[in-house]
Amino acid sequence: MARRKKGLMLEDDEPALDISSLIDVCFLLLIYFLVTSTIQPREQDLPMTLPSSQKSDAPLEIEPMLIAVKKTGSGFSVVVNKSETLDTSVEGERRRLPLLLESLVTYSNLAKSNDTKPLVQLFIDPLVDQQTAMDVLNCLRGAGINSVTFSMGAK
Amino acid sequence: MASDKLRALNAKEEKEAEMDMSPMIDMVFLLLIFFIVVSSPMIVKMDPSVKPAVAFNSTAAEDKNGRIVINVRGEEEYYKLNFNDADAKMTSEDDIADYVEAEVKRIKSLSTEYTPKLHLRGDKKALFEFSQTAIAGAARAGVNQIIFSVYPFAAE
Repeated sequence: MARRKKGLMLEDDEPALDISSLIDVCFLLLIYFLVTSTIQPREQDLPMTLPSSQKSDAPLEIEPMLIAVKKTGSGFSVVVNKSETLDTSVEGERRRLPLLLESLVTYSNLAKSNDTKPLVQLFIDPLVDQQTAMDVLNCLRGAGINSVTFSMGAK
Repeated sequence: MASDKLRALNAKEEKEAEMDMSPMIDMVFLLLIFFIVVSSPMIVKMDPSVKPAVAFNSTAAEDKNGRIVINVRGEEEYYKLNFNDADAKMTSEDDIADYVEAEVKRIKSLSTEYTPKLHLRGDKKALFEFSQTAIAGAARAGVNQIIFSVYPFAAE
């Protein structure tokens, strides 16, 4: 009995590590990182192919679609085939160009029915900002068009 | 009699429920390491001066090989992938064509399976004129595939 008591006393005297302060520090660091880090979206791809890399042995069976993006004051306007003015601003949070999209889908379907690839020639005013240019390219991707010809204006 | 009572009290104290905190500490450390690891590479690899445009029809990057990165910051200044290098700055279509040509040779020497592509990181507020110059320079060097770097949703 006496021996057992002695053993218990020894166990009580064993050195114990107090980890509560360690946990405090860890939580503090964790909260610091949670608060200071802003969630940066991962960059994605919007691929386009220029025409010279495409093989075009077959003669053209479809008229190319000419899209011009012109700067107008603080905004822009999208002109198709030199005459038809479509969107003059983006719509909603998803930055849609509904009239251009409709026109592109119709053209793309026409090309498919003729067994050819849709041909889009794009003239973007050099003074238009990158976001507007990306909105038009985004619309092309939405219509399933992955190849485009960039027309350069005279400098 | 008194010793029996004491013994009974001692036995009760020993049976008290204790919380095992080790899994919680494990988890906290795991989260801490995750945040440290995730937050650092962004600053290293991408030019923070360039804030790309938003395009909802963009797709996640699949093939990361053969990319020739050009950063368009907003003025007529183009930067290579390692934008902090002394020779990273390019100012004309000729500079871009020379850079792309050298990169195409480097990529082809690595593997014949890689297709050189222009990875254009243009600032959303920059004029498209500068991106057009970069595209023209790359086309002169024989690169016809262009990847515009965009965000899949608005960052702000």
